[in-house]
Order: sequence, then C-alpha cells, then structure tokens
Amino acid sequence: MWEKVISYVPHWQVFMQGFLAFLIPFLIFKLFNGFLLVKKNNGKIDIKEQANQSEKVHKPIQKTLEQFTGNYNVDLAQMRKEIGHNWDVHFREFHIGNTGNRAAIVFLKGLCDKELIDKHILTSLMNCHTENPTIIKGYELQQLIKNEVLPVSDLREESNVMKSVGRVLTGATVLIVDGITSVFIIGTAHGKTRNLEEPISEALVRGPRVGFTEKLSVNTSLLRQHGENQHLSIIQMEVGERSKKELVIAYIDEIVEPNLVQEVKKRIEKINLDDVAESGYIEQLIEDNYLSPFTQVQSTERPDRVIAALMEGRVAIILDGTPFALIVPVTFNMLLQSPEDYYERWLPSSLIRLLRYLAAGITLFGPSLYIAFVSFHQGLIPTKLALSMMGTRQGVPFPALIEALIMEVAIEILREAGLRLPKPIGLTMGIVGGLVIGEAAVQAGIVSPIMVIVVALTAISSFAIPQYNAGITLRMLRFIAMFSAALFGLYGIILFFLFLCSHLVKLKSFGVPYVSPTVPYRAGDWKDFMVRMPLKMMKHRPRLLKPKDTIRKGD
Amino acid sequence: MNSSSKDKITTSQAVVIIINYILATGILTLPRASVEKVKTPDVWISVFLGGIVAMIAGVIIVKLSQQFPDKTFYQYNQEIIGKWLGWLISACVIVYFFTISAFEVRIMAEVTSLFLLEGTPTWAIILPFLWVGLYLISGGINSIARLFEIIFPITFVIFLLVAFLSLGIFEIDNLRPVLGLGVMPMLKGIKTATLAFLGPEIMLLLVAFMYPSDKSKAVKVVLVGITIPLLFYVITVVMVIGALSIEGVMTRTWPTIELMRSFEIPGLIFERFESFLLVIWIMQIFATFTITYYAAVLGLAQLFKKSIHPFLYGLLPIIYIIAMTPKNVNDLFKFGDKIGHAALILFGVIPVALLLISKLKGDKT
Repeated sequence: MWEKVISYVPHWQVFMQGFLAFLIPFLIFKLFNGFLLVKKNNGKIDIKEQANQSEKVHKPIQKTLEQFTGNYNVDLAQMRKEIGHNWDVHFREFHIGNTGNRAAIVFLKGLCDKELIDKHILTSLMNCHTENPTIIKGYELQQLIKNEVLPVSDLREESNVMKSVGRVLTGATVLIVDGITSVFIIGTAHGKTRNLEEPISEALVRGPRVGFTEKLSVNTSLLRQHGENQHLSIIQMEVGERSKKELVIAYIDEIVEPNLVQEVKKRIEKINLDDVAESGYIEQLIEDNYLSPFTQVQSTERPDRVIAALMEGRVAIILDGTPFALIVPVTFNMLLQSPEDYYERWLPSSLIRLLRYLAAGITLFGPSLYIAFVSFHQGLIPTKLALSMMGTRQGVPFPALIEALIMEVAIEILREAGLRLPKPIGLTMGIVGGLVIGEAAVQAGIVSPIMVIVVALTAISSFAIPQYNAGITLRMLRFIAMFSAALFGLYGIILFFLFLCSHLVKLKSFGVPYVSPTVPYRAGDWKDFMVRMPLKMMKHRPRLLKPKDTIRKGD
Repeated sequence: MNSSSKDKITTSQAVVIIINYILATGILTLPRASVEKVKTPDVWISVFLGGIVAMIAGVIIVKLSQQFPDKTFYQYNQEIIGKWLGWLISACVIVYFFTISAFEVRIMAEVTSLFLLEGTPTWAIILPFLWVGLYLISGGINSIARLFEIIFPITFVIFLLVAFLSLGIFEIDNLRPVLGLGVMPMLKGIKTATLAFLGPEIMLLLVAFMYPSDKSKAVKVVLVGITIPLLFYVITVVMVIGALSIEGVMTRTWPTIELMRSFEIPGLIFERFESFLLVIWIMQIFATFTITYYAAVLGLAQLFKKSIHPFLYGLLPIIYIIAMTPKNVNDLFKFGDKIGHAALILFGVIPVALLLISKLKGDKT
C-alpha cells in the first residue's frame, strides 16, 4: 500500500518546478505592482512639489495682483514693469480725440490683427470729437468710448493688472485711458494659421477633403459647420500648469451618457503637467492602462470622423495647437474602420472591412506561422509545399527565427527611414531597400525567397490598417508572436493568441470593454462590426456606449 | 464579496461558459472510452442518453442554486447543513475543481507533446499554459466569460468544418446495425458518456454571478449549454466510428486525431486538418482549465473569507504537482476516471440531498 503511494510521489524536480510555477508569476506581479506603486508615489510627490512650487510662484504674483488705479502714469508703469521688457510687446501712446485725455494701447506684435488696430481702434479713438470735450472724464469717458467710439464686437473691461497682462500675451489689445479705473480689452488676436488641407495621415478616396488645423477655433467651427445641431456641446477646459492651453470637450448632450462626460472631465482635470505639447500627451495621461500595447484613445484629423463618433455617443477632445482630435472610448473594431466604409455602398465596404481583418491577422501571425511550420510542423503543410519550402531554404545558414528577424527588422528600419526623408529620397529608399536588399539577400543565400514573400506580405498587410498607431501595435506584437512560435511552434502561437485575448478582454477604455462588440454578444451591434450592413438596417446606435437616445432618427 | 456589480455575466455568457467547460478532453477521448464499454456501434445513443442524464443533474443543481440566488455554493451550503459539514463539502468541491484543472493540463501536455512538440519536456509545455491561465483569471469571472465568448465561435466554425471535411471517408455501414445486440451494451456506456459531460456543476457558482433579472433563465442556460456539446459529441462519435469502425477506434489512443490524420484533401492550402482540430482543442482545454481553476480559487477565497490573490498564486504549484503525478497516459486515464466518479457523488448525489434538505427546512419556517 505505502509503496504504491510512494511510487506516485513525484520527483523532487517536479516540486522545484512547481515552486517556479508559483515564483515567476508572483515576482512579475510584485514587480508590476511595485511599478504601479512607484508611479503613484511619484505622482503624490509631484503634486506636493508642484503645490510647493506653485505657492512659491504665486506668492510674489499675489503681491502685485493689483487693480488699476485710474492714474495713467501709474497704470502704464505697472504694465511696463510686468511685460515691458519683451521685445514683441508694443506700447503706443496717444490722445483721445479732442478731449485731450491721454491713452495707450498695449499689444503683441505678430499676434494681433494690425489692420484692425490701425484702422478701427486708433482711428476711431484719435478722431473722436465731442461737443464739450473738457468735461468728459472718468465714467462718462468710459461710457462714451464703449458706446460710441470703438466699433469692435469683442470688447471687455478689466480692472486686474495681471489678468490684462495675460490677455495681452494671448493676442488681445489693452487700452489704458487716463482717469478710468479699468482698462479695455479688445479681442484682436489673429494668430497665423495654415489653410484647411486634406489630412495626410487619413486620406480617403471618397469623403470630405478637409482636416483639422492647429487652431482650436477653426476646429470647433469645422464641427459646427457640419450641420445645425443645438445639442452639440463644446465645453472649454484648460490644461498645462505653466503654459496654459485651451482644450475643448465635444459631445452631443442628447445622446452621450453623462457619466462618460464626467469621467473624461475628471481625468483631464487630473492632468498635472507644465506644458501639454500635443494631444498625444493627453492621450497617454488619460488612458486606462499605460502598460497595454493597444491604443485606448483614437486620434484623428478628420472632422467627419469626429462627428460620426459623437453621433454614436462618444466624446471628442480637441486641444489647441494640434490638428489631432481624440475620441473616447475606443473599441478594438474602431481601429479597423474607416469613415469611407459608410460613404461607399455597403457591399464593397463590408468586403473591404473583412479584408482589413484578414490583413490584421496576417500582420500579427504571418511570420510566426511561417516559423512554426518550417521549424516544427513540416508534416502539417502539404507535401509539395513543404518540399519547395525546404528546397529554397537549403543553404540558408540560419534557423527560421533568425531569418525572419533579419528581414522583419530590416523592413522596420526601412519604414522608419523612409518616413523621415523628403519624398524624392524616400522613394529611392524604397527601391534600394525593397529591391536591392530583398533580391540580394536571397541571392546571397541569407534568407529564402519564401521568407521574403512572407515579410513583404506582412508589411503590406500592416499598412492596410487604417489607423497608423493600430498598425504599429500589431507590428510590435508580431515580434512576440515570432518568439513564441520559435519556442513552441503552433502551440506557442495558440498560447500567444490566448494571452493576447486574455489581455484584450481585461482591457477597458473609459469603462467600455475594449473587445466590444465582439463580446459580450450583442447581435444588434454586430451590424457594424466585421461587416457594414446597409444603412437602412442600422437604426440603432451602438448599445455598448449606453446612449440616452438609442435610435438614429430619420432612417 | 466577489459579486460586485461589475462581476455580472449575461445569460449568453453563462451558456458559453458551460459549453466551453464541457467541451474538453471528451472530443478526443470519448469515442474510445465509450466504445470500449459498449463494443457496438450504438455508442452515439449512449452519448445522447449521457447528455440527458447530465441535463437532469444540471437542472437539479440550478434548482438548488436558485434557492440562494445571490450566493455561491460555498456560501450557501453551510446554511443548509451546518457549518462543519458545509465546510467539508466545500473543501471537497474545491479539491475536485483544482484536481480536474490539473488533469486537463496534463492531458493537454500529453497530446501536445505527442502531436505538436515532440521532444519538448512536459514542464516546458505546462508552465506557460498555467501562467497564461493565471493572467486571465486575475481579471475575474467577467474576463473569463469574455474570453470564452471569443473562442467559442472559433471552435464552432472550425469544428464543423473539419467534421464536414471528414465526410469523405465516412461509411454508414460502420454504424450498423442499430441496437444489434439489444439495449444492454448501450446502457453500459451511459456512465462513461455522462462523465464526458462534466461541467454543469459550474452552475453552483454561476447563478450567483448572473444578473438578477436573468436568474430565472438558469434552467434554460443549463439545457442549452448541454445541448450544444451534446451535438458536438454525437457528431464526433458518429464521424469517428463511421470512418474508423469499432475495431479501429478501440486500438487508437486518440481516435479523433487519427481520424483527422487519415484523410487528405489535395488542392487546398492544407491537406491535413489535425492542426486545426488541435488548435481548437487546446483552446477548449484552456477554457476548462481556467474555469475550474477559478472555481477552486473562488472557493478557497470564500471559504477562508480572504482576498482572492494569495490563493490565485498559491494554487499554481499544487496544480502543477498534481498534473505531474500520473506516470503515463494510462495512469492519467485512470486518474480521470477517478475524478469522474468523485464528480458523480459530488454533483449527482449531494445536490439532490441538499435540495431536499433545504426544501424541508423551507417548509418548516
């Protein structure tokens, strides 16, 4: 009896391995947890330091946080003290018409509309003639300027010095008049913008040829121009501690789930950075899981794409100074969709969409399947194919993994190099890289011709994905798939697939499961998933976003 | 404690969990195991009846769970039969769950090393599998349900595809005569067939995770959840016996894979399809492994009223050592039979008793 039991007690190595089975994931878990903790701590320290710093910075400011006195000389000196040392700040002193009151305008060269200042502000003020000029002072003068003299729509009064300084720096013109205890702020901001152009990163065959620009007001106006919609809310927020930037959140208040808007606002308010240079900063700071290789926020240059997302109940974030708007929440299927899918008829769109899914599959698993079949399971492929593959691989000195890595890395370098170069040289690069390296590598016997085909197919497939950053994600994961295939063959690929799926099902973007609508099964949402059903059938908004108003009106 | 609002699953998710739990080793071993017992081509009838037995057990389990809609089995059995006895039964169920997960892992390792990775040591096959499972389970029941929903359609499509392709070597004569030796041999196979349908017991836990409005549909969930694997199994048995005949099935350890190996369809990219079958089969084993692992971990956490994390990691070496204990494939199959017998008692007898007791208690109060 005992002997039988003892014969079943495993070897001590098994116990060691069992311990390893526990130790390795446990260590990884601890590592990541530590990572997260460190990050949190850092955040706390940062906030404290920031708070200290901002107190230090703010205290001296608070001392000078003074009001305008109404005494022209004092006020002007005050302004000069604050910003007078800047080369681009201009002070222009003059007299107001025949009243003899002294006045000055302060403005920023380059950022102001000079024509507006010259023709309308200065002209009107200097030519203002009243009947009994000597009596007019103080309050009356203020009313006179506001109501009769200045023909400007954007006119405000401000009594705080620092705030007026801030306004000057963003392009407004400040008018200081003797005897008035506040200054006029005239909206003359006129930054340089480029024209509306077709977005380069998201070109379409059919669809509007207009993209966002770097100017926020232009971008929001593009959204407004899409059509009259009184429910389109564009809410202003501010980001950046040192250089403040405007940012708007756009949503359609009749459709969007209110909690989603609250969550977006909350996350944006939490951003604590000196300077937010591009919407990519925001993307990285508001995403759910920064350890995930998948993009959890969609960026786009296309107003029509933003509008379409808003109409589904999503929220858009637009930052001043960048043409890339952000859309949240994102689901995996969005990365493989293009606005064109809806502009073309449903049959070609559906087929093209299926093609993209296929392309995504090839991008992810193409080279790894090749490695698995060549180095582990020659028996599983047709005999003739196996023979020809082995034949071409004869004389290749490397194992399949190295062979694949050489070519894959080469093509990634080519892509990166071609991206930065000016167009004519980029073309040459393509020819040199594609033809010379590919052909020569085969001739030299470093790689087999079939490998070149696999690599080329993979590279082309990865560019068939409409979202550039989604393509990068898949290309990145492709390397992991290759390594697991080299270790465990087909089994490794299955494990990698399961691992990837496990990661994806755990991932959420603003409370929405990343893999929806794949799972949980929502048959209604599948009309717009792998295929795009006819528009007449898509009467409902995606339910995964829990929109308030589920039916798309006017079917 | 683990039933916060985000840990809810939909009805379709519950169905998919049961299907994925049931479909596991049976696809590869059921034809041989049942033919060995029955020895006539009537195996498919046995499988059918086995499914019906499993349905009855499943319905009883659901009825029991519906008495305590917000609690898992581990929580409510102490209310029915007292603290210590309940604790003991919970412990047995937990042991059952992690033993079966270890069994699935080992079967997977055996098949993989035989057909896909010759020469790779068993530990190298098992360890990554365990870790991927661990990663999934740390996301909770919701992640598990979603992953199952991803792999179920893949299984469904590929399985039907390979089954359809094997029609080429199917001979109806191998399935004749129907009931040639009477009813008795067929009845002998029912027990073996029922063991292939291990899985409805997960409803002991799942009902607690379902949305309150859906809990009344739990019976339907079990019935649908068993019907689909039943079809899979019947198709498998019919195809395998039809192609390999009774004698052919008995001499092969993994008859279903042999079936896939025994035909070639030239002209397609792939001429042989066992790789497809193995792909979906490994995914199914992964599903069974994760759900049983999760059931065991959840049980431990609820039994000791602690967080789920220490058990999540602590159970890994135990599962590994159990998986490595059987010395060879025959040992492994015997081990599987023992688990099956334990399941018959744990989930055939005990739920009936508990249901009766709780009904009686309910009448008294």
